[in-house]
Amino acid sequence: MALCISLVPRRLRGLLLTVLWLVMAGLAQAQGTLRVLAWPGYADADLVRLFEQRTGATVEVTSIDTDDVMWQKLSHDQAADFDVFAVNTAELQRYIRDGLVVPVDTKAIPNTARQLARFRNLKGIPGLVRDNQVFAIPYTYSEMGLIYDRQQVKEPPTSLRALWEPRYKGKVLLYNGSAHAFSLAAMAMGDRTPFHLDERAWPAAVEQLIALRRNALGYYSQPEESVEMFVNGHAALMFANYGSQQVQLLRAVGANVGYAMPKEGALAWLDCWAITRGARNVALAQAWINFMLEPEPGEALLKRQGLANTTTESPNLSPQDRLKWLEPVEDSERRAHLWERILAGDRARKVLAP
Amino acid sequence: MKFFGIAFKLGLLLAGVGMLASGLTGFYAYQASRAMLVESAKAELLTTTQVLGRRITQSREEISRNLQVLAGHPAALAVLRGNSPAQEDQLATLFERILLANPAYFQIRLISASDNGLERVRVDRAGERLVRVQGDDLQEKAHFSYLSGTLKLAPGTTYLSRIVINHERGAHAGQDQPSVILGTPVVDDMGHALGAMVINVDLNGAFAMLTSDLPRDYQLFLANRSGDYLIHPDPTKTFGFDKGRRVLMQEEFPKTQALVDRQVERLLLEVHDGRYIDAPVVAAFIGRKSRVAGDEDRLLLGLTQPLGAVLVQANRLGSVVLQMVVGACLICLALAVLVARAVTRPINSLSRAVHGFAYGHEAAALPVERQDEIGVLARSVSHMQDEIRNQLATLERNREDLEHLARHDALTGLPNRRAFQERLELTLARAQRSGERFALLFIDLDQFKSINDRWGHEGGDAALKIVAQRLSAAIRKADAVARMGGDEFVVLLENPTRREDIVVIAEKLLDSVHSPILHAGQEMQVGFSIGISQYPEDGDTAATLLSRADHAMYAIKAAGRNGFRFSASKGTPTNPTPL
Repeated sequence: MALCISLVPRRLRGLLLTVLWLVMAGLAQAQGTLRVLAWPGYADADLVRLFEQRTGATVEVTSIDTDDVMWQKLSHDQAADFDVFAVNTAELQRYIRDGLVVPVDTKAIPNTARQLARFRNLKGIPGLVRDNQVFAIPYTYSEMGLIYDRQQVKEPPTSLRALWEPRYKGKVLLYNGSAHAFSLAAMAMGDRTPFHLDERAWPAAVEQLIALRRNALGYYSQPEESVEMFVNGHAALMFANYGSQQVQLLRAVGANVGYAMPKEGALAWLDCWAITRGARNVALAQAWINFMLEPEPGEALLKRQGLANTTTESPNLSPQDRLKWLEPVEDSERRAHLWERILAGDRARKVLAP
Repeated sequence: MKFFGIAFKLGLLLAGVGMLASGLTGFYAYQASRAMLVESAKAELLTTTQVLGRRITQSREEISRNLQVLAGHPAALAVLRGNSPAQEDQLATLFERILLANPAYFQIRLISASDNGLERVRVDRAGERLVRVQGDDLQEKAHFSYLSGTLKLAPGTTYLSRIVINHERGAHAGQDQPSVILGTPVVDDMGHALGAMVINVDLNGAFAMLTSDLPRDYQLFLANRSGDYLIHPDPTKTFGFDKGRRVLMQEEFPKTQALVDRQVERLLLEVHDGRYIDAPVVAAFIGRKSRVAGDEDRLLLGLTQPLGAVLVQANRLGSVVLQMVVGACLICLALAVLVARAVTRPINSLSRAVHGFAYGHEAAALPVERQDEIGVLARSVSHMQDEIRNQLATLERNREDLEHLARHDALTGLPNRRAFQERLELTLARAQRSGERFALLFIDLDQFKSINDRWGHEGGDAALKIVAQRLSAAIRKADAVARMGGDEFVVLLENPTRREDIVVIAEKLLDSVHSPILHAGQEMQVGFSIGISQYPEDGDTAATLLSRADHAMYAIKAAGRNGFRFSASKGTPTNPTPL
């Protein structure tokens, strides 16, 4: 083994030895292994080490970066390869449907008491509770507010309707995503169920989206792209699909921007920790979730990822701001189909044509 | 020759040195030429990449010219100013012509700045056909930066869009295809942009034409300024950003990070890792800044060529070098054997000569004719052999003389007693084996003392010599005569068949001495007394036979001299023959 270590570059050697030591320590204490599936930045090495020191367990972290890969890994072998994973509320539904997750005993996770009121009220968050059983514990979230150029927009926008205002014609940046686009239009029209459009609401939503398009500077897909378009195109207003992350990026390039939550509520995704049906050591998985609600992981999310945590109020939000947690939409194919036409520049008659 | 002899060692050394020299020469020749080949391939690849870069610019400039021609057409302005279907048709026909002439164009459009960027004239390529899009199918494009970007430009300049997958629904052949859009503003007399002339170009089609004459094993890479692949030999790696998972050039070729970071504008690589671990490539990458306004301000272009293809020549060279090395080694080996033999053959012949000489065989030929050190050595050995041979001959002669002296009487030259004893023993042994007979005749000169007294010793010696000669002459060749000492002689008669034969011989002997001997001018008269013994009648040992013959001789002397008598052992003694 000494020989093998000598082959490793010096700067990695310390890390390798640490890992070996941890592996050996873990085996010696025989506290078991926790298999975590999470997004990058959710289980940084230093946090993992802290957890391992406290519990004597060994943690194996696997990172994924798309919902589809996560689904592949968990639906394979009945989720037997992982104990605990982080998933958003909309995605969580298919895991519940296929029985790949087991209910979480909130009493076994005392740190839930540290969470903000809006996250303690699990029933108020669509998709977490089914048949009085809790399937996931909120961990981090990102809201989709409105970013505005303080030079051009003197008063912070208070409503989504600002995106349609003629004075911002050609200066509004939008996100190229069919599901969110229709939800946005629905909310702007005062619809309380933006994820479930009423059959009669479709033509109006299309009209709204075409009107919005006529106001648009352009549509972005990636955060970096949005920053470039915002700055180069001298945009006044932007629907921030990536929320505070875009605010950070824009400020990093020197843009004088503000970030506002519309009164209709901001769309938001919420990632939660869930326990798989294949979990070997449920107590250890609960201990992990409990640990994730402590100050260190929460601070790491905020400082390193620019993501909000559930135990302290986000600097971008005030308590009265409303968040509209994402839910699966009624017909994603229909939304996508219409959206393609809208985005291509078709007029309403053509968009709504069969 | 010993197996590990000097020849073997010398041969081994010479062959080893030769092979090492040719092997090292071959190896370094191969290394040097391989490096040169790779370097020249890299330089060629870089040149090709730069040529390709220029072609891209030329191709873009050609599109720009087409755009200017279209934007400057009076019909364009007329269409943008008002409803003029005839002018629209005219433009559409023009668009169709250009689309037919340029297979890499997906679409040509005239888009108005007003009406939310409504398309006014539009012709799309749809497979083999061209489709004119009209009426409700015309779309609003104000939210696309290729329109807003173009409208901001000065007349006569070109806008270049980002190279993306075109998701504009209804774009016919161009839909969901990698495209780049170029546009130029259409301006009125006041300089206001009333609309834009826009061409959608098929990225893959355009590049297929640009690279059609490249060698088949060249692979083309195109990336945007961030390194996102736009063209890659593996199409699944292109436009990763469009699928939500970026695939970057600097991940596959880490050194291109410097290109992405604009630290360098060109890069030459030999890539041996990643997916090239089994099939290494040489690669040239260049960064090209766009000369026109737009969103795609810089492109990264790369070409790779399999190192294997480059090294085919090197390998061919390598195999030639290898053949030469093997040939040279064989020649070295043969030369080593020849040299070793040339050196050791004279040494061996010297050694054989000395060896043969030592064992008395006929001396082998020596390489004395040689003019080198071995010739000198051979001549020395030859001289030494002659010396030894001469000395041996002298020794042999002396030995033979001594031998003769030891066995012959010095005065008469007849065998002496010792020699006669040996002859007698031999004859006796033979006779005992074969049953043959023989006789001894013991002869004593009568009154020899008186000859000595009268003629002196010289006279005696002369008499003895003459007697010896006459005895020798009288006997048969097979018989032997010897001087036993003083005046005593003995004759051995081999195999006398009858007693009468002996008598004849004895009488003949007596006759032979009968004639007078001349000495100092005077005649000497000598006589014999002969005693005869016979084998096997008179004994079976030499001593007995001699003794009997002696007795018989004394008996005849006592009886009156000058006669012969047989030993009396058997029958009556023979009467002496009176003279």
